[in-house]
Amino acid sequence: MISPYILNILIFICIYIILAVSLNVAIGYTGLLNLGHVAFFGIGAYTSALLTKAGVPYIVALICAGVFAAILGFLLILATYRLKGDYLALATLGFNFVIYSLMLNMIFLTNGPLGIAGIAKPSIFGLAIKTNFSYFIFVAVICTISVSIIYFLMRSPFGRLLEATRDDEIGLRVLGKNTFALKSKAMVISAFFAGIAGSLFAHYITYIDPTSFTLPEVILIVTIVIVGGLASIKGSIIAAFVILIVPEALRFVALPSSILGPTRQIIYALILIIILMFRPRGISGRVDLK
Amino acid sequence: MMLKIKSVHKSFGGVKALQGCSLEVARGKITALIGPNGSGKSTLFNIISQIEDEDKGRIWLDGEEITRFRDYKVSRRGISRTFQEVRLFHNLTIQDHIEIAIGKGDESIIKSFFKKRKRNTEKVKEMLALVGLEKPLDTYATDLSYGQRKLLDLAIAIASPHKLLMLDEPVAGVNPKLREAIKKIIRELNQKGETILVIEHDMNFVMDLADYVFVLDAGKLIAEGKPKMIQKNKKVLSAYLGE
Amino acid sequence: MVITQLIANSLIIGSIYALVACGFSLIYSTNKFMHFAHGVTVVIGGYLLYTFFTLLHLPFYLASIVSVILTGLFGVLSYRVIYLPLKNKGSSNAILLMASIGIVILFENVIQLVFGADIKTIGYLDVAKGMDIFGASVTPLQIVIFIIAVVLFVVLYLFMSKTKLGRNMRAVADNSELARIIGINDKRISDYSFFIGSCLAGVAGILVALEQNLFPAMGLGLIIKGFTGAIIGGINFIPGAILGSFILGVAENFGIWYLPSGYKDAIAFGLLFLFLLFKPNGLFGIKKGVKE
Repeated sequence: MISPYILNILIFICIYIILAVSLNVAIGYTGLLNLGHVAFFGIGAYTSALLTKAGVPYIVALICAGVFAAILGFLLILATYRLKGDYLALATLGFNFVIYSLMLNMIFLTNGPLGIAGIAKPSIFGLAIKTNFSYFIFVAVICTISVSIIYFLMRSPFGRLLEATRDDEIGLRVLGKNTFALKSKAMVISAFFAGIAGSLFAHYITYIDPTSFTLPEVILIVTIVIVGGLASIKGSIIAAFVILIVPEALRFVALPSSILGPTRQIIYALILIIILMFRPRGISGRVDLK
Repeated sequence: MMLKIKSVHKSFGGVKALQGCSLEVARGKITALIGPNGSGKSTLFNIISQIEDEDKGRIWLDGEEITRFRDYKVSRRGISRTFQEVRLFHNLTIQDHIEIAIGKGDESIIKSFFKKRKRNTEKVKEMLALVGLEKPLDTYATDLSYGQRKLLDLAIAIASPHKLLMLDEPVAGVNPKLREAIKKIIRELNQKGETILVIEHDMNFVMDLADYVFVLDAGKLIAEGKPKMIQKNKKVLSAYLGE
Repeated sequence: MVITQLIANSLIIGSIYALVACGFSLIYSTNKFMHFAHGVTVVIGGYLLYTFFTLLHLPFYLASIVSVILTGLFGVLSYRVIYLPLKNKGSSNAILLMASIGIVILFENVIQLVFGADIKTIGYLDVAKGMDIFGASVTPLQIVIFIIAVVLFVVLYLFMSKTKLGRNMRAVADNSELARIIGINDKRISDYSFFIGSCLAGVAGILVALEQNLFPAMGLGLIIKGFTGAIIGGINFIPGAILGSFILGVAENFGIWYLPSGYKDAIAFGLLFLFLLFKPNGLFGIKKGVKE
């Protein structure tokens, strides 16, 4: 039997793989520096939690989590279409904070800072996923499906157009391609899977509140993407393992939790800065950050 | 007329880049747009391809008014162009470039999902042979020399379905041997019936290639006519000498 | 009277935002990238004062001056250790922004490790009663904040327009290529812009620490507000950034007259979003746009 501790890490790794690979679609393949990805994660989590609490079957809630996040993704690209580079990054970060603010203040819906507790474990076609091991299998399956879909999409002619959009948008437009449609689709795909990840997260932890979806979370996911390398799905997967496992070494040095938390954040921040300074393409990145 | 432009005006802040330009590009002919640096030639190209919006004026392509069209729509309507500062996708291969240019419907996720990226190797080789780019298909654009980049830029413009080919300084910064090669390509394309509009700063390049010439200076069209007439035109000479 | 109270509150918080924004704008206009970590610089200023004054019992004004200078040096260090090497490698603005965000997270958590996550008070001034000015309740400290801010803005203006260094900075901000050609040492200008900008942040940190309280994560909110103020007024134009920050202060305070107070931050983010989309050069900005 695999220990619950290891299962726990593996479940998180699967969730973060989905988050990182989906963000890579936006940043690495399409060149959209979206720092608002965590908002999609949060929307997916809240959507799934609220729907299942209202009695909706889990599978439907899971899909809705993705769809709702995708709609938000479309709104975001619609709003920020003309921005580039660091301005886009800051606008999307601002978007993240707006969503956070809404989560915090729309108390009638989200319970505000108190969050939503008692989220039920999923039950698919009558099969309840209650144990850690069965949840891990479930998450691993969703992760595999998600990553495969993204992989095939990025490898297809559509994916190639995304990369062309990143490399020279005007050059692609004079070849007759509608880059707004391309960017929108990329963002929608990216957001959809982040929403799915949000649902997986919510039903595992069974309690969510707005603080799970703020800047430290953004940094973690962005660090994974950059360390893994832009436009490299393989890189994101490896990086997810590395970045989530490394701080676990801290557990063996019996640190009190008040030190553990900040130390973990410091490690992430240092990894991000060091990678940017000395190996900006990360593990297997094919592209530089514009 | 393949292309007709009427009274195009464009200002950037206080600078009047184009003042009331009108010109026509005849079907099946090579038309040249020349003028000293900064005369507004590239701006005019950008307006025709709608990368920039004109302040005033109207444009027709093959009888259809394209004044309000967006840039990618203008391209789909049949204008292919190159850029003075070559625009390529540096993380993609030569094959990718041509495939993108000839590809249709790739923006659709569903249509694209089960296809692989490389599909049309024969057509790709044909396009590359046309411009004389002899490099392996999987060469990345960043690994090409400047001259090879110019050729690739030309190749994707040709490969993209079009009625009018607009070339913005196709031989800028290119060695003499390649200049002649590109001149030959343009002539061959024209002999096959292509309508071509060329911007060139260098009068000599244009003179034995073009059927008709328009001269732009400080945003205004100061002369038009057959090359021999233009070469003798005093206004044109002073515009160039005075720069 | 409610209106005068709102105006007073707007001016006071606007002063803090403007102090943050003008330092940020100074650094942005001279270096042309977003020093997001400016927010954590403010926090460092506050915690340095806490260290020197509350923990080490140095005299208040000495502690303040030392804190401000050290904060300025922190700014220069972040430039020399992180930004300059990245720039020398040809890193894009996006990479610099990412590194900057990394710096924020790094130092936020270092502060938390060293000082703890709990709220700290400086304990220099007693909690004063508000005085009545035209119907608004204003404490002496709040008046001091406003005055110090205005004085600093005037000093900054004089510095930028009258001194050689200030003029050189403006030259670099206007056209860095040309400035380099005529012999201005752009690295030294950057050193100075980071130092001065960060000192201003240090002052902001001290004032915030006195007026509100200190906690490690406060830098994020402050830089967002400062950045928003700068964007509203024109990120490339220091007086614009200052004005924009006061406008933000007004918008926030009058906004929560109508909306629940929890939406205060949302108002700022919303304005940020709107301006980035429709008026990225701000109300008073002069430079060319951010669209490609």
